[in-house]
Amino acid sequence: MPKYGMVIDLDKCYGCRACMVACKIENNTPEGHFWMYTFRLEEGEYPNAKTTFLPRPCMHCEDAPCVRVCPVEARYKEDTGQTSMDWDKCIGCRYCEIACPYGVNYFNWEDPKKIQYVDGGDPDLQAVTEGARPPYANPDLDGRYGEKNAHVAGGNHLKSVVGKCTFCIHRTEKGLDPACVANCPAFAMHFGDLDDPESNVSQLLQEQVGFRLLEETNTNPRVHYIGGSPPSTDAHQIEAVKGKE
Amino acid sequence: MRVSRRTVLKGGGVLGAGLFVTRFLPGMPGGGSGGPAEELAELAQLNEEFVPTTCWIGKQDCGIIARKVNGRLVKLEGNPEHPRNRGRLCPKGQGQIQAIYDPNRVKTPLVRTNEKGVTGTWRQATWDEALTMVADKIKEIPEDDRKKYLLWQKGRSKAGDFYDDAFVKASGATKMGHGAYCSDAGYRAMELTTGLHGVLHPDFRHTRYLLSYGWDGMNGGGNKTCQITWHQQLIEARERGLKMVHIDPSRRSAGPFADEWLPIKPGTDMAFFLALANVLIENEYVDTEYLTKHSNAVSLVKADGTFLTETRTVTIENDDGEEEEEEVQIEQVWDAASGGAVAIDADRVQPALEGSYTAGGVSVKTAFEVFKEHVASATPEWAADICDLKAEDIRTVAMEMGEAAMIGSTIVMDGITLPYRPVGIMGYHVTQQELGFQACRAAALVMMLLGTIEAVGGQRTDYTWKVYKNWEPFGDISVKDGPYNMYLKGSKFFPINSANPSIAAHAMLDPDKYELEAVPKVMIIHMANPVISFPNQKTIMDSYELFEFIAVIDPWLSETADLFADVVLPAATIEKYEGPMSANTQYVDAKTLRVPPMDPLFDSRGDIDIYLDLCEKAGILDKYLDVVNSELKLEDNPLPLTERPEVRDIFDRWAKQQGLEGVEFFEQQGVWQKGDVPASKFYGYAQDPPFDGNRHRFYGESLLRAQNDMKELGAGEIFWRLYTPYPTWMTATLEGSPPEYDLYLISRKLIEFKQARSTFIPVLNELAPKQFMEMNPQAAKDRGLDDGDEAWVESQNALTGETRTVKTNVSYLETIRPDTVCLPHHYGFFTNPITKDQGPTSNTLFFSGEGYVTNTADQSFHVKVKVYRA
Repeated sequence: MPKYGMVIDLDKCYGCRACMVACKIENNTPEGHFWMYTFRLEEGEYPNAKTTFLPRPCMHCEDAPCVRVCPVEARYKEDTGQTSMDWDKCIGCRYCEIACPYGVNYFNWEDPKKIQYVDGGDPDLQAVTEGARPPYANPDLDGRYGEKNAHVAGGNHLKSVVGKCTFCIHRTEKGLDPACVANCPAFAMHFGDLDDPESNVSQLLQEQVGFRLLEETNTNPRVHYIGGSPPSTDAHQIEAVKGKE
Repeated sequence: MRVSRRTVLKGGGVLGAGLFVTRFLPGMPGGGSGGPAEELAELAQLNEEFVPTTCWIGKQDCGIIARKVNGRLVKLEGNPEHPRNRGRLCPKGQGQIQAIYDPNRVKTPLVRTNEKGVTGTWRQATWDEALTMVADKIKEIPEDDRKKYLLWQKGRSKAGDFYDDAFVKASGATKMGHGAYCSDAGYRAMELTTGLHGVLHPDFRHTRYLLSYGWDGMNGGGNKTCQITWHQQLIEARERGLKMVHIDPSRRSAGPFADEWLPIKPGTDMAFFLALANVLIENEYVDTEYLTKHSNAVSLVKADGTFLTETRTVTIENDDGEEEEEEVQIEQVWDAASGGAVAIDADRVQPALEGSYTAGGVSVKTAFEVFKEHVASATPEWAADICDLKAEDIRTVAMEMGEAAMIGSTIVMDGITLPYRPVGIMGYHVTQQELGFQACRAAALVMMLLGTIEAVGGQRTDYTWKVYKNWEPFGDISVKDGPYNMYLKGSKFFPINSANPSIAAHAMLDPDKYELEAVPKVMIIHMANPVISFPNQKTIMDSYELFEFIAVIDPWLSETADLFADVVLPAATIEKYEGPMSANTQYVDAKTLRVPPMDPLFDSRGDIDIYLDLCEKAGILDKYLDVVNSELKLEDNPLPLTERPEVRDIFDRWAKQQGLEGVEFFEQQGVWQKGDVPASKFYGYAQDPPFDGNRHRFYGESLLRAQNDMKELGAGEIFWRLYTPYPTWMTATLEGSPPEYDLYLISRKLIEFKQARSTFIPVLNELAPKQFMEMNPQAAKDRGLDDGDEAWVESQNALTGETRTVKTNVSYLETIRPDTVCLPHHYGFFTNPITKDQGPTSNTLFFSGEGYVTNTADQSFHVKVKVYRA
C-alpha cells in the first residue's frame, strides 16, 4: 500500500493559482472554499523587498490534530496516508477546523449546491445539463472511496459539514495524481509514495533539503516543500482572496 | 465525431495513455470492497468520452482534453501532446468551463430597442432577421466606398484566414487591429530594425543572461508566447543557470524569479539602454564582425544625417510585366583597401566600421562613428540621474552582459557553426509608451553591439526565421499628404502606423485637424470590447456615437455592445470548429484546430458559421470562399464558390490538403506534430546568406527622412520629434503635467485575466474581484492612505489639460517604487452580473493621441496622476 505525500518545488512556483482553480473544478467546491490555496507573499521593505509564493493544500498530517479531536470518527487516516473526511458522519462541530494549525478546513454554512459559481438553475442550461449543479458537476465525487469505502470525495454535498482537500482520493484510486498536481503549469508539484525510496517524491527529498510547514507543532505533515524557504514572520499576503485575508 | 474511450483504446492510446486508463468506471472503489449495489450500477452506466480541443481564452490556443460524462462536459484538462502547454492549463484555461455554461451569455440574436449611448434594451430576434439587418447595412454602402465607411474591428479572434482575410477582403472593409494591451510599438521597432515580426525575447534554451525589461517577467507572459509556454521555458532556462535581471518600476511581475531588480523610473528605459551602449563601447564589447557584415553601421552618413549614396540604374519589371529602367540610391561605405567611398555591395569591399572621412569633398562618418558620438555622453552617471538608479548598477549590468555575450565564440547546431551569444532581452507590453518605439530600438541596438541578434542564445524576435513584409517599406517610410483614412495610414502625423482604434477615435472626433477623408459609418466588432480595452475610454466612447450602425459578434453582451450596438450576434465559446492554429513553441512545431466538445449552447453559432451566413446574405459568399480557398491553400480540393459549406467540411478539406486523413485526425488526436524546428529554420545566422543578405538597420536613416517629410508637409514637432535615426533621449510629454500630478501610473496584466472573456469567468473573478491600486506603503502613508482605503486617482493630459478621475482601493506593495502606482488591466466591466462593482478600467485614466504615443499611432499605458483620499 503506497503512503502518499506531496512535494512542492518553490523554485518553480510562480504563484499562478492554476492549482486552486483546477481543484475547484475537479472537486466542485463552492464559492469561497479553497481546499488548495496559494499564498502570494511579500517581505522586506522597498527596495529590499521580495515576493514569494506558497501553495497550501491540506498537509495530510501523519499525526493529524483534526483526527484526534473528531468526536464521531468522521475524520480518519487512510492506510494510503490521506486524511479523509466522511461527510456522511460529520456532525459539523468544527472541532477539526479549530484543531488544525494550517487553516485548511471549510465549513459548509450553506448548501454548497446553492453557492456554486454558475447558476445551474437557468432553464436553458438545464435543458443541456439536466440540472447538474454546478453544470460541470463531477459524477466521480458521488462514489465511495478509501479503506472505509465511504463518501469522502468532493466538496459539493451537504450543508453543515466540513470539507477539505482529499488529495483527490477519487483520482488517486484510479492511479491519477491530484488535480492540482496534474495541472501545475510549472511542474512544481509532485505526488507519490513517500515510503518508496525510488518514487519521484522520495528522490526529490533525497536530492534537496526540504522543509514542512509548522514543524514545531509535531503534526508530521505529508506535504514537503523544496526550494525557497519557510515564510518569515515578516511575510504578509498580497492579492489575498476574500475569506483568506 | 466524438472520441469515446472505446475508440481511443482501439487507436492505441495515442492521446497520452495516462488519461485514459481505468476510467471506465469512475469512482469504482479501489479496495474492491463494494458499495451499495444501486450506486455501483449507476456508476457503471457513466459513459465517459474525451474530446481534444483548444483553449479559447488567450493567444496561445493551448491543447485541451475535454472530459464528458454521459454527454455532459465536466472538465477541461491540458492535452499532454500539445507542445505549448504539455498537459497543463493556466487558471483561465481551467476556469473557462464556467464561461461555457454561463447563463449570462447572449442566448439569441438581439436587436436594440432604445437609443444608443446608454444601457441597451433589447428584443430577441431570429438569426435570419439579425443577419439580414447587418447584411443590408453592408449592401447599402457602394462597394467602392466600403474602405471608407465600413470598419471591421477585431479582438482576439482565432481564425485569421476566415475573419481578417476572407471577410475583410470580401466585404471591402477597413480592418483595425486588436492591439488592446498589445505591443505594437515594439513590433514596429523590430520590423524596422531587423525586419522581424515580434518584440524581444531570449533564446530560452541557450540564453545565459537575461534582461527582463518590463512587467511581463513571470506575469502575463510576453512576446509571442504567454501563459504557460513562456513560464515553462523560463523556469527550465533558470534551472540551466540563466541569470535574470529585472528592470521595472515594480518587482511584482518577476516575483522570486528576478535574481536582481533595478527599480527604474517609468518611461526612462531609453536612457538606460543608451548607457549600456556607452559602457559596452567604452569597454570594447562590440561584435565588429556582425556590425560590419550584417548591419548598416558601416554606411557613411553626411552632416545632414542622411546616407552618402551613389545612383545606380537598375532594370525592373513593371506591373505589366515589361522591363523598365529605374534609378536607385545605393549606400556607400568607406573601403579601407582602396581608401575611398564605394557602394556597400561592391566586390571585395572592406568597409570601415569607424572613422570620419571626406568623400568627393563631402564630410562623412560611418554610422557607427555617429553612434559612438551619440552615446559618448550617455554615461551610467547620466542615465542614473534620469532613471533614478545607481550608476554602478547600470555599469555592472553592462559589464556582465558584455562578458556573458562571449563575442567571437561559436557553437555547432544541427551541423551548422553559428555565433554563440547567450545574452538576451525580453520586453513586450513595456513598449506601449510615448518613447517606447525608440526605447525598444535602443534595446535592440545594445543587442546589435553584442552581436546577439539571431545568434544562438541571443536576441530573438519571431518564432522562426522569417523576414516580415514591413521590412522593405520601412526602409523608405511613406509620408503622404492628406486626406487620410480612418486610422491615418501613411499620414504626416503617424507615418508608421498600427491601425489602432485609439487613434481612429481621435481622428473621427476631429476630422479637420487630422485631414480625414471620411468618418466611417458602419462597424462590425468581432470579439473586441473597445469601450473597456482601449485608452482613452471617453475618447473611444465619444467617437462611437458617430457610427450609424454597429453590429457586435460576441458570446457576451460586451460593454461596447451594451452602449452602442444595434445588433448583437451571439457567437459560441469553445463549442465550435475554428482554426487552423499554430502550436509552435519556437523549438517544436505543431498545428491544431479547435474542435467542438459539444454543440453550441443556447442559440449561439460558431463564428465561421456566422460569417458564412452573413456573406451569403450580403451577396459576397463567392468572394469570401474564394479568399478562404486561397488562404487555406485548398489547391487540390477547393470549396465550390456557389454553395454555403459546412464548417467541418472546410477543415476536412484543409486537413486533407496537409496530407492528413481529414478533420477526424484533429477530432481524435488534437495536435498535428511537426517535430523540432531545425536550426536552419530558426536562426537568422543559419540562413545562406545570413539574414537572407539583409543588413539590419542599426542606423534608422529612414526615420530621419520621414521626419524631414513630416516637417515639409507641416506636421507639428510633437508628431515628428521622435523620428530620429538613433534613439535620442528627450523628456516625455507626460512630464509636462503640473507638479501636483506627482505619481506615475502604469498598468500590468494579472495572471488571472486575458480578454474580457476571462473576466466573465466567476472563479477568476473570485480570485481577483476588484480593481486595486498597487502603491508603495510609504507613499500611501505620506498621503494618509492605509492599505485598502478608497482613493481617487486623477490623471492629467499634459498637452490638453484634460483630467480623468476614478475611485479605487489602495493595495500596499513594497515591491513598487514610491513614485509609481499601478492599476492592472481587465477591470471596469459592468454588463455581466459577476463583474458588477468591480471598479474602474485603467483605460479611463490613460490618454491616447499625440504626446502619449508617437511613431506607431497606438496606445500608451503611462500617465502622471495624483492620488488622494476618497
